[in-house]
Amino acid sequence: MIKYILLSLFLGGIAGYLNNMWGAQAVNTFISDYLFNFSLIALLFVMGLNFGLDKESTEKFKKAGFRILVVPFAVASGSVIGGLTSALILGINPVASMAVCAGYGWYTLAGPLNGQLFGVEWGALGFTVNFLRELLTIATVSLSVKIDKYAPIAMGGATAMDTTLPVIVRYSGSDTIITAFLSGFILSLMAPFTITLIATLA
Amino acid sequence: MTVDLLTIVVPLIVGVLLGYLLRSKGKRNFNKATFGIIIVLIFSLGFSIGSNNDLLISLPKVGLNTAVMLVMVLLFSILFVKIARKAVGIK
Repeated sequence: MIKYILLSLFLGGIAGYLNNMWGAQAVNTFISDYLFNFSLIALLFVMGLNFGLDKESTEKFKKAGFRILVVPFAVASGSVIGGLTSALILGINPVASMAVCAGYGWYTLAGPLNGQLFGVEWGALGFTVNFLRELLTIATVSLSVKIDKYAPIAMGGATAMDTTLPVIVRYSGSDTIITAFLSGFILSLMAPFTITLIATLA
Repeated sequence: MTVDLLTIVVPLIVGVLLGYLLRSKGKRNFNKATFGIIIVLIFSLGFSIGSNNDLLISLPKVGLNTAVMLVMVLLFSILFVKIARKAVGIK
């Protein structure tokens, strides 16, 4: 799936660049504005459907106990504080930086949503930061697990429920599967809320 | 067209509620639809990046920002989870 997403980003970039050279403003407005917003809203709706349909996660919660919620909340606050610290180091907009980091690794959402809220530069950052978060989680799992058994879950963020789940479980141990999944699930639900909430601070 | 808190949160909540109501009506999955929407969305993100000349010039700066943000996010996420685990006693 990553392959198709990167290809689609790349082709979109080329198409946008060529269109800009030709100066077809109507096409630009249609794609960058209407198509963009429409598919963003459609994505939120269909992801909501997927979350709502997911019977197993409710049962997993009952089994694991609500104490497990401290993990996603720690990841969420760590990510936002990380965004704030980066803004202080780099001298960039702290609100937008926190919002980008509140994607928790869900780059297909964080890229477009931050682009919509703060401008296309932040859309690019939202994509790269969160995309590399997922990639680094997988690439460094054998090292990060030595820092802390739950470090791969912390790194994976929202992706711990699907794409990075298999590697996390392999290195952190099969007893972490429920925590990893639930942490990713909660963070995925939280991402659109926290990004837009942070944006209201601006 | 402007997008605010409501335009983001309403479709998500409607989706969750509808999904919850559909639960009993047998197994369904929207993986294909989700995939299609993501492809269109990311294409239009790429399009808006590609058609923005100012951004293309400042891409090296985006790279530096990405690196710093990535390190900070991962550092604090791991640290906070470590502290939270100790505080609540999750093994």
